[in-house]
Amino acid sequence: MDLYIMQAVSGVSVGFSLFMVASGLVIIFSILQVLNIAHGAFYMVGSYLCFWVVQIILSGVPANISFPIALIAAAVLAALFGGVVELSIIRPIYKSEPLYQMILTFGLAYVIADLCRFLWGMNFYTVTMPTFLAGPLVVGNLYLPKYNVFLIGVGLFIYIALLLIFNKTKVGMILRATTTDREMMNALGWNVKWISTFAFMLGIFLASLGGALAAPMNSVGPGIDAAVLVNCFIVVVVAGFGSIGGALVSAILLGLVNSFGIIFIPRVATAIPFIFMVIVLIVRPWGLFGKPIRTW
Amino acid sequence: MEYLNKIGRSRVFGWGAIVVVLVVMCLLPFVLSGGWLSSVTEMLILALAGLAVNLIVGYGGMVTFGHAGLYAVGSYAFALLELSLGVPFAIAMILAPFITAIAGAVVGWFCVRLTSHYFALLTMAFGMIIWAIINSWYSVTNGDNGLFGIPIPEMLKSIPSYYYFTLIVVTVSAIIMKVILSSPYGVILRAIRENSTRVNFLGVNVRNYKWLTFTLSAFFIGIAGALFAGFTNSVFPQFAYWTKSGEFLVVVLLGGMFSFIGPMVGSVLFVFLDKVITAYTVYWPFVLGMILILCTILFRAGIVGFISEKVLRQGDRQ
Repeated sequence: MDLYIMQAVSGVSVGFSLFMVASGLVIIFSILQVLNIAHGAFYMVGSYLCFWVVQIILSGVPANISFPIALIAAAVLAALFGGVVELSIIRPIYKSEPLYQMILTFGLAYVIADLCRFLWGMNFYTVTMPTFLAGPLVVGNLYLPKYNVFLIGVGLFIYIALLLIFNKTKVGMILRATTTDREMMNALGWNVKWISTFAFMLGIFLASLGGALAAPMNSVGPGIDAAVLVNCFIVVVVAGFGSIGGALVSAILLGLVNSFGIIFIPRVATAIPFIFMVIVLIVRPWGLFGKPIRTW
Repeated sequence: MEYLNKIGRSRVFGWGAIVVVLVVMCLLPFVLSGGWLSSVTEMLILALAGLAVNLIVGYGGMVTFGHAGLYAVGSYAFALLELSLGVPFAIAMILAPFITAIAGAVVGWFCVRLTSHYFALLTMAFGMIIWAIINSWYSVTNGDNGLFGIPIPEMLKSIPSYYYFTLIVVTVSAIIMKVILSSPYGVILRAIRENSTRVNFLGVNVRNYKWLTFTLSAFFIGIAGALFAGFTNSVFPQFAYWTKSGEFLVVVLLGGMFSFIGPMVGSVLFVFLDKVITAYTVYWPFVLGMILILCTILFRAGIVGFISEKVLRQGDRQ
C-alpha cells in the first residue's frame, strides 16, 4: 500500500512538472494558433540555463541561494529569447497554413537544440539539489522525496496564478478576448501582434521554468527536448487544445498512468502514454475537455 | 495555394530532361567512387520516401510526423521476413511494402478522421507506438540493439549492383505514383486539399479518399524502408523515431511540395548538403533548421517551385 502511495505522489509530481510545460504550449496555441514544435527546445534552454547559473556563474554560492535565483533567471532569460524569436520569425507566419507553421517551428527546434549543443556541448550535466529540498519527507511510514512535494507545490501555485491572471485581471481578459476573436480585437484597436508576442513569451516562460525545475531531478543534456515535447503533445491532445485546467488533469493522469504502468506492465511501459493518447483520440478526437470539432 | 498549384503544374522538366537524367543515372557507377555512389543510392531511397510523404503533405495538404514509423515497419518487415522466417530476398522485398500498407491502412483509418494539427499529432502518436513496440519487444526485434546481417543475394552485394537495383525499383515506383496521381483520383485528391468541404458536398467520400492516400503512401514508404534495410544490411529502432519523419518533411519542403519531382530534387540536395556540410562543421542540424525556416518564410514552393516560378514569369513576359 505504501508503495502505491509513494508511486502516486511521484506520478502526480511528474504530472505537475509536465503541466507547467504543457500549459505554455496551450497558451501559445490558443492565442497564436501556432502549434509550437520548438516548445521542447525552449524547455531544454531552461534546463541548461539553470545548470549554467547554478554550477558555473554562481558556483561558489550554496545551492540553497543559487537555485532559486537560477529558476527565475532561466525562465526570464528564455522568455526574452522567446520574445526575440517571436518577433523575428514567428510573426511573419501568423496567417500561413498550419502546414508551414509546423514546419517552421520544427526547423526552429533543430536550430535551438544545436545552439545548446554549441554552447554546452554533448555532455550530460547534473544540477546540485538545494539542501532544503533534498532527502525524503517522512509522513508516518511514508518516505516522500521533498523535491516531488516541492514540484507539486510549485505546479499548484502556477495553476492558481494562471487561473487568477486569466479570469481576474485585465491582461487575462485581453488574452481571452484574443483567443475568441483576433480580428475583432484588432478592429477594436488592440495591437494583436504585441499581445501575441506577450503570449508567446508567457508560454516560453512556463516551458523554461518547467525545464529549470526538472534540472535537479533529471540530468541535463541533448535529447531531453524531444522526450518532453512528445509528452507535452500527449497532454495537450488528451486534454483538448485550449484548456489549461484540462491540461492539468491530463498531465496528472499521464503521470499516474506512467508511474503505475511501470509497476504493473513494465514490458510495454514506453508505449503506455501513446496508447493512452490514441484511445482518447479515437473515442473523443477533440480531447477530454475540448469542444467538438469537425472531423473530416 | 492556387498560384503555387499553377507553379507545380508548369513543366520545367519535360520528358527529354527525364530521359537525360535517367541516362546520366545509369552511367554514374562508371564515374563516381564507391563512397559517392552509396550517397547516390541513399538519395534515391530518400527520394522515394519523400515522394511517398509528399502524397500526404503536398497532394493531401496534411502534415505527418508518423511516416518514420511506417518506414520502420517496411524495414523491419523486410529484415524479420529474411532473418526470422527465412523468406528469400525477392519475396521479402515484395511482401514488405504490402505489410507496411496494411499497417498504414490501420493507422490511417484512425488518422484521417482528424484534420491539421490533430492529424499531425495522431500520426506522431502512432509512429511513436511503433517505435516503442520495436524498442521494447526484444524477443522479436532485438530492441534498441537493432538487427544486423540481413542477407542479400550475391549478385546485389557490390555497391554498383545494389545501386542499379535501387534505381530500377525507385524509377518504377515513381512512374506508378505519377500514373496514379494523373488519374481522376489525383485530381480529386488535389481538390480535397484546396477545399474539402466543397468536395464533400459534391458527393465524394473525402475520408475514404484520404484513407486510400494514406495507405498508398504507406505502401511506397514501405518500399523505401525495405530498400534501405537491404542497403545497410541492418535496421534500428531510430528509423521509427518521430524526428526521422522531420527528415522526410525537410526533403519534401526543400524540393517543393507542389510538384511531383520536388521531393527527388529535395533528397539530392539533402544528402549532398549533409555530406558537404558535415565535412566542415558538426552543426549540420543548425544549418538544416535554418534552411527550413528560410524555406517556410521565403521559398514556400521549394527549389523546384522557385525555378518554375522564374520560368513562368519569363513565359509571361514573352
